[in-house]
Amino acid sequence: MSVNTIRGCIGCGTCVKTCPTDVFRMDGETGKAVIRYPDACQICHLCRLYCPENVITISPEKSIPVIVSWG
Amino acid sequence: MAALASLGTSGWAANTPEIDAEDFLEKKKDADVLVIGGGMAGLFAAVKAHDAGADVLVVSKGRLGASGQTPFAKGIFAYDPETAKTSLDEFTDSVSQSALGTNNPVFTRQMAEHSLERVNELKEWGFFKSPLYHDAFRIPLTERGIPVMERIVVTHLIREQGRIAGAAGFSLDRERIYVFKAKSVILCTGAGGFKPNGFPICDLTHDGTCMAYRVGAKVTGKEWNDGHPGQSENPAACYNGWHGMFDRKPGVTGVGIRHDLGVDLNYQAYMQGNPVQMGPSGSGGQSKVSGGPERPEGFNRPGPPKGGPAPGRRPGGRGADRSGKRGGPPGMHGNMVGGSSAGMSIHKSEGLVPINEKCESNIPGLYAAGDALGSYMAGAIYTQIGSSLAGSAVQGAVAGEAAAEFGCTVTLQKISSVSMGKIRTEILAPLKRQQGYGPDWVTRVLQGIMIPNFVIYIKKEPILNAALAYVEELRDHHTPMLRAADLHELRLAHETANMILSAEMKLKASLMRKESRCSHYRLDYPHMDTKNWQAWINIFKGTDGTMQLEKQPFKSWPA
Repeated sequence: MSVNTIRGCIGCGTCVKTCPTDVFRMDGETGKAVIRYPDACQICHLCRLYCPENVITISPEKSIPVIVSWG
Repeated sequence: MAALASLGTSGWAANTPEIDAEDFLEKKKDADVLVIGGGMAGLFAAVKAHDAGADVLVVSKGRLGASGQTPFAKGIFAYDPETAKTSLDEFTDSVSQSALGTNNPVFTRQMAEHSLERVNELKEWGFFKSPLYHDAFRIPLTERGIPVMERIVVTHLIREQGRIAGAAGFSLDRERIYVFKAKSVILCTGAGGFKPNGFPICDLTHDGTCMAYRVGAKVTGKEWNDGHPGQSENPAACYNGWHGMFDRKPGVTGVGIRHDLGVDLNYQAYMQGNPVQMGPSGSGGQSKVSGGPERPEGFNRPGPPKGGPAPGRRPGGRGADRSGKRGGPPGMHGNMVGGSSAGMSIHKSEGLVPINEKCESNIPGLYAAGDALGSYMAGAIYTQIGSSLAGSAVQGAVAGEAAAEFGCTVTLQKISSVSMGKIRTEILAPLKRQQGYGPDWVTRVLQGIMIPNFVIYIKKEPILNAALAYVEELRDHHTPMLRAADLHELRLAHETANMILSAEMKLKASLMRKESRCSHYRLDYPHMDTKNWQAWINIFKGTDGTMQLEKQPFKSWPA
């Protein structure tokens, strides 16, 4: 399912700002990032690459069916 | 297909907003030059407009240096006159030959001529030291005190008294509408696609092109196709499909003119089915069927590179490091699928029609740069590796200086309350609907209509007309009924509307161009028509509100 987990978030909000498709939000209660819109993930890994703690895991499978031109 | 596409997402349903549209505050910001977009073009537009004396504001839907396609571009071209083996004129002529006349040689030459200066500035800012560009982009903007507003979805350009007056949009983080008054605006909003799978188009949905079209700008280049394939295994996984390229620091490329990444593979797949193996032209790809897109003399498909892998093996190829341990783009690796960048034309071939070499549009005060400008810098096919990023840098700088110069000649305009009321209503409409279509669902229906190989790649009139009928249905009966429950979905609703508009443009331009050339292939008109089609297609909104198309001869400026 694309973005999988955030374990060990320090609440810096970098992933929220960085994700081009707006997958993350900050949890108002915990102050940590949550995966709010996983269907929007395009599996580009920018969130993981920018995460200062490297605590985001991502799998290559899309969470919804994929449309291609052929194949 | 459209029905299949919609599986897994919610279509028509009641809307239960999590936020109240009435709670949105309006915030106003003024600037001499408003730069929309935080990629490579936006960076240089802001820096050069500032250095020309303008008060600049940058607004971006994403994060500076981390949105659009800029973060994934790892090669930037630099023409060094001291080491290049070809002159600028020879370079420009060679691009024109490969592009079969579709390029604008003024922009081709401009890109090459200024590329080294831009690359040297990027070196000063530390751009080449990291695979991640945000910090390097921050340096020149911080040094100059240029403010950057991130996660602002700009939805509207504002035109008053015939010229640009500003823009408006909303925040992704709080209930706020922003109104930006500016003497000039530079669209650095990139191109876009239909949220396809496997190519890092990510957040690009032709927003700039669409908002400009709605206020009267001319748009070009919608019939061309970027032909990047994807990988058959996990085709949606951009990062995995590019085999380590995103982890790599950027590098500089030198002169090497090609004729790449049109629709050759799409034709091969259409004629003989799967599997299509090996890479695109120039990377060892082998044409296995007769006919298909014509290639210019001297730019035939080369065979596998010397010492390269056997067919079907991972070639590494372009984009691989010298050790061959890290691979290149999709299509370089085993079995492929098509449509990874569906909805996007060749870089720099689509976008606003420039009226001069200063990246100015037909609307006074409105400029565009990079993939938002239909400059035809490379033509309607990929001709020079790394020129996409270089072109964005160069055009950003050119547009920045020109927009600052324009700003010295005018004053900020008042934005009428009528305009603001209409814009606020349009921005918030999806939140206010009590029921409607989910934007995800509509997007997937659009993907099902547009992405199949036999629709937008291997084109023929009956299918194009059939697809257009579907898209017009979406335009007339779904765009006005898109719903949104929160700020994320409000963004999706506006993006979906833009993709539908872009699809209409693509289909109408594809129908109009009754020939095949570069990355546009018509099965019913398979040859190049040099008698009738030495021309680009411009699209604009007619006085009756309908979409109009016109020809503009190659190597000319709009009348």
